[in-house]
Amino acid sequence: MNTLLRRLRHDLFATPADGLISVVLLAVIAGGASSFLRWAISQARWAVIQANSTLFAVGRYPIDQQWRLWLLTALLAAATGISWGMLRSHPRPDRVGILWPRNDRIAVALLVALSLALPLMLGLSPAVQLRWVSMVAVLVLLRWLAGRFGPQLPASLKRLLPLGLPLLYLVGMVLIAGGLGLVSVSPSEWGGLLLTLLQSSFAILLCFPLGLLLALGRRSELPMLRWGSVLYIEFIRGAPLITLLFLGQNMLGFLLPGGLAPERVWRAAWVLTLFAAAYLAEAVRSGLAAVPRGQLEAARSLGMSMPQAFASVVLPQALRVALPSMVGQFISLLQDTTLLSLIGLMELLGTARTVMANPAFLGHNGEVYFTLAVLFWCCCASLGLGSRALERRLDPAAISRSG
Amino acid sequence: MSQPTPATLSRTAPAGDVMIEARAVEKWYPNGYHALRGCDLTVNRGEVVVIMGPSGSGKSTFIRTFNALEDFQKGTITVDGITLSDDLRNIDTIRREVGMVFQQFNLFPHLSVLDNLCLAPVLVRKRPKAEVQEQAHALLKRVGIAEQAEKYPGQLSGGQQQRVAIARALCMEPRILLFDEPTSSLDPEMVREVLEVMQNLAADHITMVVVTHEVKFARQVAHRVVLMAEGEVVEVAEPEQFFTNPSQERSRRFLDQIL
Repeated sequence: MNTLLRRLRHDLFATPADGLISVVLLAVIAGGASSFLRWAISQARWAVIQANSTLFAVGRYPIDQQWRLWLLTALLAAATGISWGMLRSHPRPDRVGILWPRNDRIAVALLVALSLALPLMLGLSPAVQLRWVSMVAVLVLLRWLAGRFGPQLPASLKRLLPLGLPLLYLVGMVLIAGGLGLVSVSPSEWGGLLLTLLQSSFAILLCFPLGLLLALGRRSELPMLRWGSVLYIEFIRGAPLITLLFLGQNMLGFLLPGGLAPERVWRAAWVLTLFAAAYLAEAVRSGLAAVPRGQLEAARSLGMSMPQAFASVVLPQALRVALPSMVGQFISLLQDTTLLSLIGLMELLGTARTVMANPAFLGHNGEVYFTLAVLFWCCCASLGLGSRALERRLDPAAISRSG
Repeated sequence: MSQPTPATLSRTAPAGDVMIEARAVEKWYPNGYHALRGCDLTVNRGEVVVIMGPSGSGKSTFIRTFNALEDFQKGTITVDGITLSDDLRNIDTIRREVGMVFQQFNLFPHLSVLDNLCLAPVLVRKRPKAEVQEQAHALLKRVGIAEQAEKYPGQLSGGQQQRVAIARALCMEPRILLFDEPTSSLDPEMVREVLEVMQNLAADHITMVVVTHEVKFARQVAHRVVLMAEGEVVEVAEPEQFFTNPSQERSRRFLDQIL
């Protein structure tokens, strides 16, 4: 206790000026926190969230088909657990692996606490509560198993594991949309967080290869390719997303022959993808510019072809440099999905607007917007956390110190 | 690592097989600068040729034309029987046979030392990884850094990095090694360890063309010394003659400046 006091004193009250700043800031924080808590506890009516939690989560997805989404959630939890465990059990060759670092233990504790507390707060039925708890149990169990036994897996199997992720995405699409024997659920029935995540993950996954090609095109020696890429990137970056979204809704039908024009939800997803690709191309370009010319020369002087040199030498370094700004793009892409509510899609914000328009919940906009903000924050924060973990793994130190 | 004394080195330049033949090579940079003005050079198999000259004399540009890192507008260059032309297949074939060591090392910072060595042999020569790794370990031992195989380039000293770069070039089993000022960006105390490695390579009769300012190395190891100035080959001579009694006035002025 004594050391804690001493540390506080050292950190907050080292000099009179420090002390004054600390006192003022503490007062501001305490004031803000207490008025927020007063609102959250005594004024806010969280019934609006409790009553509409399913709507916020999946929109009007048919109730009798919702087991498919539960199955998908379980698969996602499993995949998260396995990749998390494998990441910890396979440190880089020059590092000693720690199977359970302190942050991981905190994360697991938080997950368990949330899986117990959240369903209770939302007033979900015991059966649903149990499902949430078992999702987290699956995640933690596989995290432990992969961390404990991952290293013993045969190398061939370990190489195949990453292929599971795109496979999972395809399985997820089938589970959500139907097909292969499942009743089809039309995209107009998807909504809430489900639609938000679907739109943003689709755009993130596809804008990456597109943006990469555009960035390479911009540096190409073929004039047509170079000018085409520049034109595309500059046009997209010069137009607001909302205009492009409306343009997409109105024009794609004319541009593509009858029947080929995708359904409204997919049209929006494609516009988002094409929009994000232009920004991603610029992020990748800055990464490419950061790789010294000598790297390409060294690779070429060893007899590597241009594609080999780019794939094995230039791009890995360029993408590591570009990673933070790419993730920044992904985060703003996730937030940009709220614009889809303006073209009538029922993603999180669209759902929220229908809920707020419901006479039964009039005057509770604050609760709804607050929930939305927290949900978005969770998504963006996990993207940010993942990116920082990846950055650490790709070791900036080794790269920045090389001569 | 046994260090050969100069006396044990066979100093007679091996005659016969011509490894590199450059004839009247002219190069203009895109900005119009005339970098190479009709350079001639013949390098025989197993020969060590050192190119010296003031900065801006075109030494680096010249050896970079040997593996097509620089293009040239006039003249011909034949490397190991293959004539350099716009034919991309020829360029790739030549680059496979010609290793290059750079002033700035240019190691791949995102790969471990071992992977730096193994990347090209596995990708380009399609050799089995295990076999290449075994060879890589042997090469690292040969350049005296066997214990650093798992480290990353950024964790090594400049001298160690340059020795890795030499091992990386050797791992492709090239017929010719080009050195572009290999010690110029090293701290003085690290120059020796790199030169020792190069001296051992010379003792193994690897064909080498070295751009360097290291007079001692040139005297002890080179079969012939080339002086370049203002984009021209001024003099080609055996080291003893070059350093004691150069035939050209330009060479004498250069030696006055550096000795």
